Amino acid sequence: MATNLMPALDPAPIPGPVWLFHLLWVVTFLVHMLFVNVVLGGSLLATFAGSSRREVQSFFVNANSWAISFAITFGIAPLLFIQVLYGRLFYTATILVAGSWLGMLGLLMVGYYLNYVAKFRLQKGKGVGISLPLSALCFVLIALIQVMVNLLHLQPSRWEGVWTQAKSALADPTFFPRFLHFLLAALAMAGALAAYVAVRRAKTQGQTAELTDMARLGVKAALYTSVVQLLVGFWLLLALPSPVLSAFMKGGAATTLPLGLGILAGIGLLVVLAGIREPIAEGTKVRRAMEFLVGAVALMIITRHQLREAYLAEWQPLAGAQVVPQWGIFLVFLVTFLVGVGLTVYAMYKAATDKPQVGEPAA
Amino acid sequence: MDYPLWIPGIGAGVLIGLVAIAHVLVSHFAVGGGIVMAVVETLAVRRQDQAMRNLAKRTSLILILVSTVFGAISGVGIWVTIGLLHPVATSALIHSYVWGWATEWVFFILEVATALAYYATWDKVRPRTHLLLIWLYAFAAFMSLVIIQGIISFMLTPGNWLESKAFVDGFFNPTYVPGLVLRTGICVFLAGAYMAFAALREQDQAARVRLVRFLAGIQVVGILIAYGGYRWWEAALPESIRALFLGASPKLAALASTRHFLLWMLAAYFLLVLFALLAPKAQRWPVTAVALLLAFAFFGGYERLREGARKPFIIRDYMFSNGVLISEIAKLNQEGILSKARWLMVGQPDEPVAKGRAVFRAQCAMCHTENGYLGIRKLVAGADPETLDLILTTMREEGDTYVSGQYTVNSHVATENLNYPFMPPFVGTEEEKEALKTYLATLTETKVAEVRHGN
Ligand code: HEC
Repeated sequence: MATNLMPALDPAPIPGPVWLFHLLWVVTFLVHMLFVNVVLGGSLLATFAGSSRREVQSFFVNANSWAISFAITFGIAPLLFIQVLYGRLFYTATILVAGSWLGMLGLLMVGYYLNYVAKFRLQKGKGVGISLPLSALCFVLIALIQVMVNLLHLQPSRWEGVWTQAKSALADPTFFPRFLHFLLAALAMAGALAAYVAVRRAKTQGQTAELTDMARLGVKAALYTSVVQLLVGFWLLLALPSPVLSAFMKGGAATTLPLGLGILAGIGLLVVLAGIREPIAEGTKVRRAMEFLVGAVALMIITRHQLREAYLAEWQPLAGAQVVPQWGIFLVFLVTFLVGVGLTVYAMYKAATDKPQVGEPAA
Repeated sequence: MDYPLWIPGIGAGVLIGLVAIAHVLVSHFAVGGGIVMAVVETLAVRRQDQAMRNLAKRTSLILILVSTVFGAISGVGIWVTIGLLHPVATSALIHSYVWGWATEWVFFILEVATALAYYATWDKVRPRTHLLLIWLYAFAAFMSLVIIQGIISFMLTPGNWLESKAFVDGFFNPTYVPGLVLRTGICVFLAGAYMAFAALREQDQAARVRLVRFLAGIQVVGILIAYGGYRWWEAALPESIRALFLGASPKLAALASTRHFLLWMLAAYFLLVLFALLAPKAQRWPVTAVALLLAFAFFGGYERLREGARKPFIIRDYMFSNGVLISEIAKLNQEGILSKARWLMVGQPDEPVAKGRAVFRAQCAMCHTENGYLGIRKLVAGADPETLDLILTTMREEGDTYVSGQYTVNSHVATENLNYPFMPPFVGTEEEKEALKTYLATLTETKVAEVRHGN
């Protein structure tokens, strides 16, 4: 491809050290992903669970009325940071598939409101109807668009092809395994979460048949998807372009360690899940599974970030960039962040615990 | 300019306008709603006023559905839209203001968490905690306005930033505080105007009258703040921007009438609110609906005026709507626009019409569609080659005017002195100008051909 299609670097300096943006990017993206996994995996799992499993459906529908908002909010931060560092790659990739990229917002809005429809239907004692499956479909499509844009911004050599032929936006050997990798992780996360919540509820509210069923379903979902995941993960690894794979492997411990540990965490997860017979009675194991899973997601997000660097190495996306930190306003951000998170945690704590005594007025 | 170009069928400006209008209406309601609901529930608790409490409760579902769902997504939507249509400008804003946005993002987190918790904890927590949630929400939502206003107002009046490129100069620009006051007033009256519907659903007559009067009072306060803020905003504008739509002979009639329009809308709205204040018993929903529409009209008029006064720039006195910087005019005249807009010739034949179309897409398509909004076909219909040449030559000479600084005082360009105060100059080589002319001529031809065909 003609190299000169790469847009020029923004002439304005980067307003902080590059490592700082990478750090904030990865950390906020991790939080974003945890919520995204709950939303995507939860809406799918609740759909598959079917209307006979009200406990599962109403848990995910209620959780998602929060999780969608947080997924969006925590998506904003990585969206800012990617633009600071790799704006020219990111804008180009999104413009090439502009219709889908914009359509993603429509899907998000529809998916979110449909989740509320499902919530209010369940509250009224009705079934979810098609609201929940449609909502899940919206999130699946959003995931698809995200994977597509992500692969495009990593590979400027594909741009010209997509510009002249829009269809080729999906034509990448890693597209399918990557998408599948993502869906399976979300399902595993939702399964583990369902089991974990069922165990906790059984402890505080007493065990019921519904909770037992929810925990079993959760563990089963997490187990089956993780078995397939192990295969898909290696498929994805082998599907990587060979220069990218070798650049990644040449990174030494810095790149192979997170990946290796991530795979180990995945295997650990499988071992724990396979050893669970009756989840409600084995709370510790369910909890351990959850920890392995979150650990695996965190490590894989680091790997994903490093893989981006390997993909982009030949393009040197930051060559010639100036750095002029705006420390003053960064400090404002940092203080706001600490105070803001503190206030949020405090407010949520109060909201969860400050129940009125009997006879006392409630809000 | 360096990027591939995507222009939606309805036109770039129309798309941005639609997304932006939807977002600002909702987001200002979300800010004002927080403040007004916090006041309402505080009074309800203090006075043990059940009707007031129900008013807050009834509004809270709408508040979260609107602010945490629609507001959040449309906010990202603006971001996505300008990133697609104005990547160069978006990148410039990000590089200057990313820490500002990151700070705003912290307030989003607090805002979303408290809004959801507020709605979820009716009847479930002690009143103090519920008040804590709504006041924190109101604070967070207002702070997000405090921050974003710095960036919005910067685009119209970048002030000393043009020279210093310092965050503080851009953020605390000349219209920052006046615009913030204006927007705060708008937030308050929009919330009052909306909640007036919820008040009418109160069954008890005496309570309804009390609520209607209270909300009318809130709206009066909002209107007065907004009016004061608006006047202050006008006064804070640089003389040459004001000349566009103020004074005995405004340069741009369309903007001047927008200004008249919005002031009349505000006056009419004020009268309706006074009516509600003085005769709350007679209040019915159609009146409330008209009041809300008038409130929207004032707000929409102001946004249009602010955007209009910025044309032909996206960042006033720095970057034109098509992404060309004033500082690169001379270079582009020499090297050609297509040296930069490389994407637009990909897969195109190397001949004048194709080149001309690429030049058009690079520089003009951001504002002109082919047949729709500001449709170029209509604008050049009937123009002969000499007329086209004259227009383009004039547009190119305006570039020299920008470069020489003939109308520039303190980095600020008095665009009202230009022949085309709404349009960026044409930049590019002589050859590119000829190519553009050839392309435009094909548009006039097809028009004629179509007309003939029709006969
Ligand atoms: C910032 C937006 C903007 C850009 C960019 C822009 N124009 Fe315009 N143009 C306008 C507006 C607004 C008008 C006035 C329309 C009217 O009067 O109805 C206009 C009017 C015109 C007219 C009619 C002029 C006349 O004298 O009647 C022509 C021809 C024209 N534009 C061509 C162009 C060309 C060619 C380009 C690219 C080099 C361009 N425009 C770029 C906004 C723009």
